[in-house]
Amino acid sequence: MKRWLISLVVLLAFGSTAQAVEVKSLAAPKGEQVWFVEDHTLPMIAMTVALPAGSAYDPAAKPGLAAFTASLLDEGAGKLNSTQFQTALSNRAIRLSATPDRDWLIISIVTLTDNAKDAFQLLGLALSHPRFDAEAINRVRAQMLSGLAQEDEDPATVAAKGFSRAYFHDHPYAHPVNGTPQSVAAIGAGDLKGFAATHWVRDNVRIAVSGDVDEKTLAGLLASAFGGLPARPAPQLPAVGRVGQPGVQVIPMPVPQPTAIFGLPGLMRNDPDFIPAYVANYILGGGGFSSRLMGEVREKRGLTYDVDTSLQDYRKAGVVVGQVATRANGMRQTLDVIRQTFADYAADGPTDKELADAKTYLTGSFPLAFSSNVGIVGQLNAFQRVGLPVGYVDKRNSLIDAVTVDDVKRVAKRLFDPAKLTIVIGGSLEAARAQAAPLPGADKPVAASAPPRSTDPHPAAPNAGKPVTPKPLAVPGKTVPHKP
Amino acid sequence: VGFSKTGIAALLIALAGIAPARAQDTRIFQFALQNGMQVVVVPDHRAPIVTQMLWYRVGSVDDPPGLSGMAHFFEHMMFRGTPTMPSDQFAQTVARNGGEDNAFTTHDYTCFYEQIAKDRLRLVMGLDADRMVNLDLSDANVNTERAVVLEERRMRTDNDPQSLMREQMDAALQLSHPYGRPVIGWPEEIRHIGRLEARDFYLHHYAPNNAILVVAGDVTAEEVRTDAESAYGKVPARTLVPRAEFAQPPRLGETRLAVTRPDVKVPVFTRIYRVVSYTGAKPGEAEALEVLAQLMGGDATSLFYKELVVKRRLASDAGAAYSGYARDSGEFDVYAVPRPGVRLDVLEQAVDAIIKAYTVAPPGTADLERAKTQLVADATYQRDSQYSLASAYGQALVIGLTADDVEEWPQRIRAVTGEAVQQAAIHDLIKREAVTGILTPAPGQHP
Repeated sequence: MKRWLISLVVLLAFGSTAQAVEVKSLAAPKGEQVWFVEDHTLPMIAMTVALPAGSAYDPAAKPGLAAFTASLLDEGAGKLNSTQFQTALSNRAIRLSATPDRDWLIISIVTLTDNAKDAFQLLGLALSHPRFDAEAINRVRAQMLSGLAQEDEDPATVAAKGFSRAYFHDHPYAHPVNGTPQSVAAIGAGDLKGFAATHWVRDNVRIAVSGDVDEKTLAGLLASAFGGLPARPAPQLPAVGRVGQPGVQVIPMPVPQPTAIFGLPGLMRNDPDFIPAYVANYILGGGGFSSRLMGEVREKRGLTYDVDTSLQDYRKAGVVVGQVATRANGMRQTLDVIRQTFADYAADGPTDKELADAKTYLTGSFPLAFSSNVGIVGQLNAFQRVGLPVGYVDKRNSLIDAVTVDDVKRVAKRLFDPAKLTIVIGGSLEAARAQAAPLPGADKPVAASAPPRSTDPHPAAPNAGKPVTPKPLAVPGKTVPHKP
Repeated sequence: VGFSKTGIAALLIALAGIAPARAQDTRIFQFALQNGMQVVVVPDHRAPIVTQMLWYRVGSVDDPPGLSGMAHFFEHMMFRGTPTMPSDQFAQTVARNGGEDNAFTTHDYTCFYEQIAKDRLRLVMGLDADRMVNLDLSDANVNTERAVVLEERRMRTDNDPQSLMREQMDAALQLSHPYGRPVIGWPEEIRHIGRLEARDFYLHHYAPNNAILVVAGDVTAEEVRTDAESAYGKVPARTLVPRAEFAQPPRLGETRLAVTRPDVKVPVFTRIYRVVSYTGAKPGEAEALEVLAQLMGGDATSLFYKELVVKRRLASDAGAAYSGYARDSGEFDVYAVPRPGVRLDVLEQAVDAIIKAYTVAPPGTADLERAKTQLVADATYQRDSQYSLASAYGQALVIGLTADDVEEWPQRIRAVTGEAVQQAAIHDLIKREAVTGILTPAPGQHP
């Protein structure tokens, strides 16, 4: 069998300092992509893995199948039933999670060095010999149904699902990652086994590792985790056709603060203007307190706690998605301000200072993503998922530095046309309802883009154990967790 | 903010076995400036990054009467500008220099932090020293920010029935202690916060002698001392009003709270016990509560999960957690989400039977070892994040614990015996010291 060998080393230099992160690329036997950072400071190893097994591969009649299958990853494998498998992990304090997004199944494992061999073997067992016991299936189904019901309490989730449905029409990106009560109830053992057999394959797997391990040891660990996966090719995703439904749709909910998800067409990750678009979005709505939208909606008018936009780069679509929440009688004004801010920006582009500040933030904050093992594997795997080469790690900041005012003007004009905005509101407000005729299907169950459910069967309690602490002042979790 | 559980720790023991190439000295350094500001330096040389955290000994327990939410509101005001850094220039300047910044408020303290390249540490120290004394508290700023905070409250609390339930249960748990007031404040009282009240709060609580500076990252103690002296050293100390010592009289009976609302889709059973915190605990007692929570409901191998979720199929989820980092009482929470068709009183009886089992006999050795292994590993994993590392020291020191408490935490967890866990269950999980909450959908809402 071919060995896992180092084929390329990339240094990410940190400014003028002597320090650098070495990202090594290992050549793997079956075409898996492996990036690796060796750091022996802490006695731990972190790994993030992406398999092409996200919710976009769900059959049309079975939305939620990818998520359901992912939830069973740690629910028994080989000779170990669910409780035995969980005990094997817990005895060694191995943290294993499997989270589906639209394109990928993202698996994260964190282990102490001493338990690394067991950790990778258990992952290998889970991937290659999952059991799908009836008890586990029924229990996880009940958890998914309870989770779906709880999603209906949250206006941001309801609006996000409605947005995906309105924006992506018939493409599988339109349906909810976690499915619907009807589809989850109908998924059976055969569906789950079939999905794992088809999609948990070695082709196209992206692996990032960081921590207390050398290359030789890692090669053995990776073989034990992935060697048993079938090498057959992963299925393809369909192309995205028509997108967007400009206008406002309201999904009524009994909440005091409606939440709007708004979006319009973005750029594919391989578009030559992607990096200028990323910089452009930072200035408009990606930059927390530095963004134009935050300045106009929060700082000047006190209309919201948070407003942001981000560039979503799915494998088959690019979309700009934003979120804002405000009191019922403030939504009309808030949306007017957002539209006007889009229009002004599309017309005039950025100021020299805005661009200069954006570049120094985006390049200067890049090393922050490389300050922990967990951060490193998260960031590297995000690069791997969008198909970037390992050398990108070192080139990335120079690409941002090269962006000009004219570049940003060009993409701002191309992207941020407020007439193209699809807006979906979760909540009840007479003011917003009057703004536009509801879109077709506004009252049907709505779909998608919910926060993907972890396979961790024990998510944080409904507030249990948390201090009643208003979380940090800005920009809650919805923004892109990794830097492009 | 995710450090509710563990205390983190120096990993001298764990580090002993690893390759020496990049293993680092994990000793921390502590000193004080002449104006009384405490400083802690936590070396982490993996990347040329620093995390600066400024922990003020002021939280929502210090909110003036009738002005709940003041401490949190003031945290927001700290971002609204000074004469030299007007308007939003604080955040703009940090961002322009490649940094991230934010802040949070709890009942006991308020924390401001930045993460940035190490050569910008002096810059962010200057910014934080400036806003410690020079804040612009204009009417316009106060009025806009009050509206923002009311939106934040709607987002976090009013829009979320579980969050509203939690707020009411905390209010019911505390007979008169301000831990019963929400950190974000009651809406009517937030509306009463004005410029003069904010000014008064600023002058009484924001001072170098009321703050702990924690710097974690690629720095030496001497670098931090030099920079801290030049930035914060020139800020004069203030005479602080002693913090009120609030009584927590024994509760004489259990409280139950039943809430039914149309915005609830899934019923939930919750109970909060008022228990001892790390600051009030006898040696080992808080650690025993950590282990008890882990055993009872910490993960999928816990008794709650195995009994209620897997074996008896009464719940789709169940868990337990201990929150012990507080100046006064701590909290021990249990919760369970019933499967469809399961009555909440049946579920509650099953929960109570498990809790009772821990008072009758000590846990089995294998279970005890597993729970301790998990907690000790948390300390290592937490160390991976510079933010968590700095937070571990800050949140301990700001409530009156010491750096030794932080560093000895793993050994103390390892020392917890089965008998200690049983004693914690007997002495701390007392129903008259608890509020039980039943949250249910309005009729016709739940299938």
